[in-house]
Amino acid sequence: MRKRVLIVDDHPTFRRFARRLLQDEGFVVVGEVGDGASALDAVRELVPEVVLLDVMLPDVSGLDLAEVLASVAGAPTVVLTSSRSASDYGTSLEGSSARAFIAKGDLTGAALRAAVTLQ
Amino acid sequence: MTSLSWKVGAVVAVGVGVTDVVLSAYQGVTLSDLVVGTAVNAVTISAGLVVWASRPASRMGVLITVWGICGFLADTVGLLPDSRLGATVGLPLVLLPSAVYAHMVLAYPTGRLVDRVDRAAIGVIYAAALMWSLPLLIGSNPSGCTDCVPGVPSLLFIGQIGPLRTIGQGFSALFIVLGAAFVCLVVRRIRRASPGVRRTLWPLALAAVFGGAQFIARSAANLFGFASWQETLLWLDRASGVAVPIALAIGVLTTRRARGPVGNLVVELGNVQPGGVRDALARTLGDPTLELALWLPDRGIWVDERGRAIAVAETSSRAVTLIGDDLAAIVHDPDLADQRSLLEAAGSAARLALENERLHAELRSQLDELRASRARIVRAGDDERRRLERDLHDGAQQRLLGVGLVLQLVRARVPDGEAAELVAEAESELREALRELRDLARGIHPAVLVDQGLGSAIKTLAGRSSVPVRVSTDGERLPPQVETASYFVVAEALANIAHHADAGHVDVTVRRENGSAIVEIRDDGRGGADATGSGLQGLADRVKSLDGRFSVHSPPGSGTCVTAEIPCG
Repeated sequence: MRKRVLIVDDHPTFRRFARRLLQDEGFVVVGEVGDGASALDAVRELVPEVVLLDVMLPDVSGLDLAEVLASVAGAPTVVLTSSRSASDYGTSLEGSSARAFIAKGDLTGAALRAAVTLQ
Repeated sequence: MTSLSWKVGAVVAVGVGVTDVVLSAYQGVTLSDLVVGTAVNAVTISAGLVVWASRPASRMGVLITVWGICGFLADTVGLLPDSRLGATVGLPLVLLPSAVYAHMVLAYPTGRLVDRVDRAAIGVIYAAALMWSLPLLIGSNPSGCTDCVPGVPSLLFIGQIGPLRTIGQGFSALFIVLGAAFVCLVVRRIRRASPGVRRTLWPLALAAVFGGAQFIARSAANLFGFASWQETLLWLDRASGVAVPIALAIGVLTTRRARGPVGNLVVELGNVQPGGVRDALARTLGDPTLELALWLPDRGIWVDERGRAIAVAETSSRAVTLIGDDLAAIVHDPDLADQRSLLEAAGSAARLALENERLHAELRSQLDELRASRARIVRAGDDERRRLERDLHDGAQQRLLGVGLVLQLVRARVPDGEAAELVAEAESELREALRELRDLARGIHPAVLVDQGLGSAIKTLAGRSSVPVRVSTDGERLPPQVETASYFVVAEALANIAHHADAGHVDVTVRRENGSAIVEIRDDGRGGADATGSGLQGLADRVKSLDGRFSVHSPPGSGTCVTAEIPCG
């Protein structure tokens, strides 16, 4: 069963290549958006199973958006990503309702799949 | 004081005296009444003229003269033979001297009523003093009344009116209230005055309280009909009248005597420390509220003794006296303006010290300016670092990440072999480049510091340190510039420890104490650190730009302790 993914990131280059990579590696990318407000609309409309969410969005922090997404009906699995490493966010990732964090440099289909299947 | 004014005063005194004597002889007034009445009026008018001539700027002379003239007229009209004209003019004059008296006391020493409450009270007092006689003028016919003065009805007499007595009693009650209000205002004045002014004010205030009290007693006697008091009260009235010129004289003498402290000022200024001239002047002039303003001609501004720019303006509650040409200004209690000679003497005595004070103030002002510009430069540098980090993050880093994803796509599409190896090599190089870029961005400005504050940022640093670090912070957010400076202190100290200290353990503590952030990095390494090295010196400069203190304690063989204390503003 191919997982349905929504990519939320404000950098179009990253979105474009991430979409191709994930599709190559067996995911269905149902959409890509560049900010928090569009992300919320897209989640309600497209009902993805996984949201690959950038920590730093122009209008809202990815950490805050993850909390909101956790409360919507049919909450998707949220995987945070960033060009920075996890240690740059101190302790704030620890309490997040996101399933996992993958640095952008380490993003592969396998890494995302492993993160999604984490319990 | 000019000799002419004395002469005019003397002539008027004699004139008033002669007039009183003639009229008294005509009316058959007793000798004691004559002597006291004449003395009071003559002395008052003369004193008023003398003050008027010697201090034309003050309205006091005018007020004293008017008071004396009113007293003279009131007494004289009372002595005129019973006539309807005399009664018409005389009755309204009876209480006018008391009103002028109240006006004069509350306006002392400048002759001006500054306070709104004082002005309102004097307005009511004048109105009451003029109005009280109106019912008597219209409705009183004292014909046949032996001890009534005047003994005839006024020209305005219409007919005897029933409620006249009630109206009279109403006025007596009002006079008691006004008398009490007057005493309260005098006491308030004394309480509010600066010590220097109080020294001049108290004799008159004492006389005024006495005068107010006897006026209340007189009104009470009228209201309750204590006829037997009248004789005593009349004498008290006379005494209170005499007390005022005496009090004024004491006030003037006290002002003169106050010139003595100028001598002390000269001695004191010989040993004065920078910033101490204001206090010396305040003591000499008896005005603790006194402020000193120094003119900096190069910058065209007034500054205080600490070199801070201030505004100098005359208001209803503050007067300004300039010293020297473009040297300094004393901003003081306006009541002191009456002691112009004292102010000028003190200003002249302080001139040299003020020149010195101005140099110090100028230096302090320049230092403040320098400190502010240093802080601005550091802040601008921090802003620039933040922008640079952001640019790296949004620009080069994102593009390289994109390339990494493309390489992954390529790798999946090329068969195993040389091409695949080259792609893998490119990916590895790229990963290394990204790591270096990330470290560079982090060194320029750590994102975690902005997002989560100093505590988290230091824990991140500790996590990357090759030497074990124990972190103790209270987690409280500090002003951004304090957090940035503290962060770089810890980062630089930890880097130094890793490279040079040969330490087994580091303790980093951040705490808030007396409004300052105290950052301490202590290791158990070999010590002997060079505090003048460019890294530590740069940190010292950064901390000092925030008015903080930076120290390195590093005895050889006993570890190193780097401490920064930064005020949190």
